[in-house]
Amino acid sequence: MIDTQSKQIGRYKVVVIREKCISAASCVAIAPGVFDLDEENIARVISQDGEEDDIKLLAAQSCPTAAIIVTDTESGKQVWPPIL
Amino acid sequence: MTPPKPCTAKLADKFIFNDKFIKLDFEFTQPGEVPIQAGQYVSIQVSERGDRRPYSICSSPAITHGFELLIDVTPQGLGSTFLQNLALGEEIKLLAPLGVFTVPQNSEEEALVMIATGSGITPFRSMVLDQLQQKSDQREITLYWGLREERQLFWQDEFSELADEFPNFHFHPVISQPLPEWPLCKGRVTNCLSVHDLPTNAGYYLCGNAAMLEDVVSFLAERGVLKNQVHHEKFY
Repeated sequence: MIDTQSKQIGRYKVVVIREKCISAASCVAIAPGVFDLDEENIARVISQDGEEDDIKLLAAQSCPTAAIIVTDTESGKQVWPPIL
Repeated sequence: MTPPKPCTAKLADKFIFNDKFIKLDFEFTQPGEVPIQAGQYVSIQVSERGDRRPYSICSSPAITHGFELLIDVTPQGLGSTFLQNLALGEEIKLLAPLGVFTVPQNSEEEALVMIATGSGITPFRSMVLDQLQQKSDQREITLYWGLREERQLFWQDEFSELADEFPNFHFHPVISQPLPEWPLCKGRVTNCLSVHDLPTNAGYYLCGNAAMLEDVVSFLAERGVLKNQVHHEKFY
Protein backbone atom coordinates (compact mmCIF):
# COMPACT_ATOMS: atom_id res chain seq x y z
CA MET A 1 0.00 0.00 0.00
CA ILE A 2 1.32 3.46 -0.83
CA ASP A 3 0.56 6.46 1.35
CA THR A 4 -0.23 9.51 -0.76
CA GLN A 5 -1.48 12.99 -0.01
CA SER A 6 -2.99 15.12 -2.74
CA LYS A 7 -2.43 18.57 -1.21
CA GLN A 8 0.67 20.20 -2.63
CA ILE A 9 2.13 23.66 -3.26
CA GLY A 10 5.85 23.10 -4.15
CA ARG A 11 7.02 21.30 -7.27
CA TYR A 12 8.07 18.18 -5.41
CA LYS A 13 5.56 15.58 -4.36
CA VAL A 14 6.65 13.00 -1.80
CA VAL A 15 5.25 9.52 -1.29
CA VAL A 16 6.14 7.06 1.49
CA ILE A 17 6.30 3.37 0.64
CA ARG A 18 5.08 1.88 3.91
CA GLU A 19 6.58 -1.55 3.34
CA LYS A 20 10.09 -0.11 3.07
CA CYS A 21 9.89 2.14 6.14
CA ILE A 22 11.93 0.91 9.15
CA SER A 23 10.90 3.76 11.48
CA ALA A 24 14.31 5.42 11.43
CA ALA A 25 12.41 8.74 11.47
CA SER A 26 15.17 10.67 9.71
CA CYS A 27 12.51 12.21 7.48
CA VAL A 28 10.57 13.43 10.49
CA ALA A 29 13.69 14.99 12.01
CA ILE A 30 14.59 16.83 8.81
CA ALA A 31 11.13 17.74 7.49
CA PRO A 32 8.70 17.68 10.44
CA GLY A 33 6.23 19.79 8.50
CA VAL A 34 5.88 17.09 5.86
CA PHE A 35 6.35 13.77 7.68
CA ASP A 36 5.38 12.21 10.96
CA LEU A 37 5.08 8.66 12.27
CA ASP A 38 1.72 6.93 12.48
CA GLU A 39 0.51 4.73 15.34
CA GLU A 40 2.63 1.86 13.97
CA ASN A 41 5.71 4.11 13.87
CA ILE A 42 5.66 4.13 10.09
CA ALA A 43 6.40 7.39 8.28
CA ARG A 44 3.51 9.15 6.60
CA VAL A 45 3.01 12.38 4.73
CA ILE A 46 1.05 14.95 6.69
CA SER A 47 1.44 17.83 4.25
CA GLN A 48 3.03 18.32 0.85
CA ASP A 49 3.61 22.00 1.54
CA GLY A 50 5.05 21.82 5.04
CA GLU A 51 8.65 22.44 3.92
CA GLU A 52 10.56 23.81 0.93
CA ASP A 53 11.32 21.39 -1.89
CA ASP A 54 15.03 21.17 -1.03
CA ILE A 55 14.20 20.09 2.53
CA LYS A 56 11.76 17.49 1.25
CA LEU A 57 14.51 16.13 -0.99
CA LEU A 58 17.02 16.05 1.91
CA ALA A 59 14.49 14.14 4.00
CA ALA A 60 14.04 11.58 1.23
CA GLN A 61 17.80 11.25 0.72
CA SER A 62 18.20 10.66 4.46
CA CYS A 63 15.97 7.62 4.45
CA PRO A 64 18.26 4.58 4.78
CA THR A 65 15.89 2.32 2.86
CA ALA A 66 14.89 4.80 0.13
CA ALA A 67 11.29 4.51 1.26
CA ILE A 68 10.43 8.03 0.11
CA ILE A 69 9.87 8.79 -3.55
CA VAL A 70 10.16 12.38 -4.75
CA THR A 71 8.54 13.37 -8.02
CA ASP A 72 8.83 16.70 -9.83
CA THR A 73 5.21 17.44 -10.66
CA GLU A 74 6.13 19.91 -13.43
CA SER A 75 8.31 17.53 -15.40
CA GLY A 76 6.69 14.35 -14.14
CA LYS A 77 10.14 12.88 -13.48
CA GLN A 78 11.15 10.96 -10.39
CA VAL A 79 13.81 13.01 -8.58
CA TRP A 80 14.62 10.54 -5.78
CA PRO A 81 15.73 7.80 -5.79
CA PRO A 82 17.26 8.54 -9.19
CA ILE A 83 16.23 6.11 -11.90
CA LEU A 84 19.40 4.72 -13.42
CA MET B 1 15.71 21.84 19.91
CA THR B 2 18.02 23.47 17.34
CA PRO B 3 16.78 22.71 13.80
CA PRO B 4 19.28 20.79 11.66
CA LYS B 5 21.42 22.86 9.32
CA PRO B 6 23.64 21.95 6.36
CA CYS B 7 27.28 21.85 7.52
CA THR B 8 30.65 20.73 6.30
CA ALA B 9 33.34 19.06 8.38
CA LYS B 10 36.73 17.54 7.72
CA LEU B 11 38.18 14.33 9.06
CA ALA B 12 40.72 15.27 11.73
CA ASP B 13 41.64 11.91 13.22
CA LYS B 14 40.93 8.22 12.87
CA PHE B 15 41.24 5.48 15.52
CA ILE B 16 41.02 1.79 14.70
CA PHE B 17 39.83 0.00 17.85
CA ASN B 18 39.64 -3.48 16.34
CA ASP B 19 38.45 -5.20 13.16
CA LYS B 20 34.85 -4.13 13.88
CA PHE B 21 34.92 -0.60 15.27
CA ILE B 22 36.65 2.62 14.29
CA LYS B 23 36.25 6.14 15.67
CA LEU B 24 36.38 9.16 13.40
CA ASP B 25 36.96 12.67 14.72
CA PHE B 26 35.65 15.55 12.62
CA GLU B 27 36.17 19.31 12.85
CA PHE B 28 33.41 21.59 11.59
CA THR B 29 34.54 23.79 8.72
CA GLN B 30 31.25 25.56 7.98
CA PRO B 31 29.97 26.81 10.35
CA GLY B 32 32.88 26.62 12.77
CA GLU B 33 30.76 25.55 15.72
CA VAL B 34 27.48 23.65 16.08
CA PRO B 35 25.77 23.15 19.47
CA ILE B 36 24.84 19.49 19.90
CA GLN B 37 22.98 17.70 22.70
CA ALA B 38 24.22 14.38 24.01
CA GLY B 39 22.40 11.59 22.18
CA GLN B 40 21.89 13.45 18.93
CA TYR B 41 23.09 12.37 15.52
CA VAL B 42 24.21 13.74 12.17
CA SER B 43 23.02 12.88 8.67
CA ILE B 44 26.02 12.48 6.36
CA GLN B 45 26.00 12.56 2.58
CA VAL B 46 27.70 9.29 1.64
CA SER B 47 27.45 9.30 -2.17
CA GLU B 48 27.81 11.71 -5.06
CA ARG B 49 24.16 11.25 -5.97
CA GLY B 50 23.06 12.40 -2.52
CA ASP B 51 22.37 9.32 -0.35
CA ARG B 52 22.57 10.13 3.35
CA ARG B 53 23.05 7.97 6.43
CA PRO B 54 22.51 8.81 10.10
CA TYR B 55 25.36 8.44 12.62
CA SER B 56 25.08 9.06 16.35
CA ILE B 57 27.68 11.25 17.98
CA CYS B 58 29.86 9.70 20.68
CA SER B 59 31.71 12.80 21.85
CA SER B 60 30.81 15.11 24.71
CA PRO B 61 28.61 18.06 23.74
CA ALA B 62 31.20 20.20 25.50
CA ILE B 63 32.99 19.94 22.14
CA THR B 64 31.20 22.36 19.81
CA HIS B 65 33.88 22.75 17.12
CA GLY B 66 33.60 19.13 16.03
CA PHE B 67 32.21 15.69 16.79
CA GLU B 68 33.27 12.06 17.03
CA LEU B 69 31.56 9.08 15.43
CA LEU B 70 31.86 5.41 16.23
CA ILE B 71 31.51 3.29 13.10
CA ASP B 72 30.86 -0.43 12.88
CA VAL B 73 32.68 -1.25 9.66
CA THR B 74 31.53 -4.85 9.35
CA PRO B 75 28.31 -4.20 7.39
CA GLN B 76 30.41 -2.77 4.50
CA GLY B 77 27.36 -0.85 3.39
CA LEU B 78 27.21 2.46 1.55
CA GLY B 79 27.74 4.56 4.67
CA SER B 80 30.38 2.55 6.52
CA THR B 81 32.41 2.04 3.33
CA PHE B 82 32.32 5.77 2.55
CA LEU B 83 33.44 6.73 6.05
CA GLN B 84 36.05 4.00 6.32
CA ASN B 85 37.68 5.20 3.10
CA LEU B 86 37.80 8.89 4.07
CA ALA B 87 41.30 10.37 4.12
CA LEU B 88 42.49 12.70 6.84
CA GLY B 89 41.53 16.26 5.91
CA GLU B 90 38.81 15.14 3.51
CA GLU B 91 35.58 17.12 3.80
CA ILE B 92 32.08 15.74 4.22
CA LYS B 93 28.62 17.30 3.91
CA LEU B 94 26.14 16.74 6.69
CA LEU B 95 23.04 17.94 8.45
CA ALA B 96 23.40 18.59 12.17
CA PRO B 97 22.17 18.23 14.80
CA LEU B 98 19.30 15.72 14.60
CA GLY B 99 17.39 13.55 17.04
CA VAL B 100 15.47 13.65 20.28
CA PHE B 101 17.08 10.67 22.04
CA THR B 102 18.42 12.83 24.85
CA VAL B 103 18.30 12.86 28.63
CA PRO B 104 15.58 15.37 29.51
CA GLN B 105 16.42 18.21 31.82
CA ASN B 106 14.28 18.65 34.93
CA SER B 107 13.13 15.06 34.62
CA GLU B 108 11.57 13.23 37.58
CA GLU B 109 13.68 10.16 36.80
CA GLU B 110 15.60 9.33 39.98
CA ALA B 111 18.24 7.23 38.23
CA LEU B 112 19.40 6.53 34.69
CA VAL B 113 19.88 3.04 33.28
CA MET B 114 21.52 2.90 29.86
CA ILE B 115 21.45 -0.37 27.92
CA ALA B 116 23.36 -0.81 24.64
CA THR B 117 24.55 -3.52 22.33
CA GLY B 118 27.32 -3.11 19.76
CA SER B 119 27.64 0.35 18.28
CA GLY B 120 24.53 1.28 20.26
CA ILE B 121 27.03 2.46 22.87
CA THR B 122 27.60 5.57 20.76
CA PRO B 123 24.97 7.98 22.16
CA PHE B 124 25.56 6.70 25.70
CA ARG B 125 29.23 7.66 25.73
CA SER B 126 28.13 11.18 24.89
CA MET B 127 25.39 11.11 27.53
CA VAL B 128 27.62 9.65 30.26
CA LEU B 129 30.35 12.23 29.65
CA ASP B 130 27.76 15.00 29.61
CA GLN B 131 25.81 13.93 32.70
CA LEU B 132 28.92 13.28 34.81
CA GLN B 133 31.42 15.88 33.65
CA GLN B 134 29.27 18.77 32.46
CA LYS B 135 26.02 18.47 34.39
CA SER B 136 27.47 17.00 37.61
CA ASP B 137 24.49 14.64 37.73
CA GLN B 138 24.40 13.03 41.18
CA ARG B 139 21.83 10.36 40.25
CA GLU B 140 22.86 6.73 39.96
CA ILE B 141 23.83 6.13 36.33
CA THR B 142 24.31 2.53 35.22
CA LEU B 143 25.58 1.53 31.80
CA TYR B 144 25.16 -1.99 30.39
CA TRP B 145 26.99 -2.72 27.15
CA GLY B 146 26.59 -6.00 25.29
CA LEU B 147 29.13 -7.27 22.76
CA ARG B 148 29.66 -10.65 21.20
CA GLU B 149 33.34 -11.16 22.06
CA GLU B 150 35.72 -9.72 24.61
CA ARG B 151 38.15 -8.68 21.88
CA GLN B 152 35.51 -6.31 20.51
CA LEU B 153 35.58 -4.29 23.72
CA PHE B 154 37.07 -0.82 23.84
CA TRP B 155 36.44 2.21 26.05
CA GLN B 156 36.33 -0.21 29.02
CA ASP B 157 39.29 1.64 30.57
CA GLU B 158 37.57 4.99 30.04
CA PHE B 159 34.29 3.83 31.54
CA SER B 160 36.10 2.12 34.43
CA GLU B 161 38.04 5.31 35.16
CA LEU B 162 34.79 7.28 35.11
CA ALA B 163 33.32 4.76 37.57
CA ASP B 164 36.34 5.30 39.84
CA GLU B 165 36.04 9.08 39.61
CA PHE B 166 32.25 9.27 39.92
CA PRO B 167 30.89 6.82 42.54
CA ASN B 168 27.36 7.21 41.15
CA PHE B 169 28.42 5.73 37.78
CA HIS B 170 28.45 1.97 37.23
CA PHE B 171 29.62 0.10 34.13
CA HIS B 172 28.73 -3.49 33.21
CA PRO B 173 30.19 -4.93 30.00
CA VAL B 174 28.30 -8.07 28.90
CA ILE B 175 29.88 -10.62 26.55
CA SER B 176 27.62 -13.11 24.78
CA GLN B 177 30.40 -15.47 23.57
CA PRO B 178 33.09 -15.04 26.22
CA LEU B 179 36.31 -16.90 26.78
CA PRO B 180 36.11 -19.19 29.85
CA GLU B 181 38.10 -16.75 31.97
CA TRP B 182 35.79 -13.76 31.34
CA PRO B 183 34.88 -12.75 34.90
CA LEU B 184 31.93 -10.42 34.35
CA CYS B 185 28.42 -10.65 32.90
CA LYS B 186 27.90 -13.31 30.24
CA GLY B 187 25.09 -13.84 27.76
CA ARG B 188 22.61 -11.23 26.65
CA VAL B 189 22.25 -7.86 28.34
CA THR B 190 18.97 -9.11 29.79
CA ASN B 191 20.93 -11.90 31.55
CA CYS B 192 23.01 -9.24 33.25
CA LEU B 193 19.99 -7.06 34.04
CA SER B 194 18.26 -10.06 35.61
CA VAL B 195 20.93 -10.44 38.30
CA HIS B 196 20.80 -6.78 39.30
CA ASP B 197 18.20 -4.83 41.22
CA LEU B 198 16.55 -2.39 38.85
CA PRO B 199 15.72 1.02 40.26
CA THR B 200 11.96 1.63 40.19
CA ASN B 201 11.79 5.34 39.42
CA ALA B 202 14.52 5.34 36.80
CA GLY B 203 14.61 6.31 33.17
CA TYR B 204 15.65 3.38 30.98
CA TYR B 205 17.54 4.32 27.81
CA LEU B 206 17.99 1.63 25.17
CA CYS B 207 20.04 1.64 21.98
CA GLY B 208 20.58 -1.33 19.72
CA ASN B 209 19.04 -3.27 16.88
CA ALA B 210 15.32 -4.02 16.65
CA ALA B 211 15.61 -7.53 18.15
CA MET B 212 17.57 -6.26 21.15
CA LEU B 213 15.08 -3.46 21.74
CA GLU B 214 12.20 -5.92 21.63
CA ASP B 215 13.94 -8.26 24.11
CA VAL B 216 14.84 -5.55 26.58
CA VAL B 217 11.47 -3.77 26.38
CA SER B 218 9.72 -7.09 27.14
CA PHE B 219 12.14 -7.84 29.97
CA LEU B 220 11.65 -4.42 31.55
CA ALA B 221 7.87 -4.72 31.26
CA GLU B 222 8.02 -8.09 33.07
CA ARG B 223 10.05 -6.41 35.80
CA GLY B 224 7.38 -3.73 36.23
CA VAL B 225 9.06 -0.87 34.41
CA LEU B 226 6.40 1.39 32.93
CA LYS B 227 6.34 2.16 29.22
CA ASN B 228 6.82 5.88 29.80
CA GLN B 229 10.07 5.16 31.65
CA VAL B 230 11.62 3.57 28.56
CA HIS B 231 13.32 5.62 25.85
CA HIS B 232 14.96 4.02 22.87
CA GLU B 233 16.88 4.61 19.67
CA LYS B 234 16.93 1.94 17.01
CA PHE B 235 20.18 1.21 15.18
CA TYR B 236 20.03 -0.72 11.96
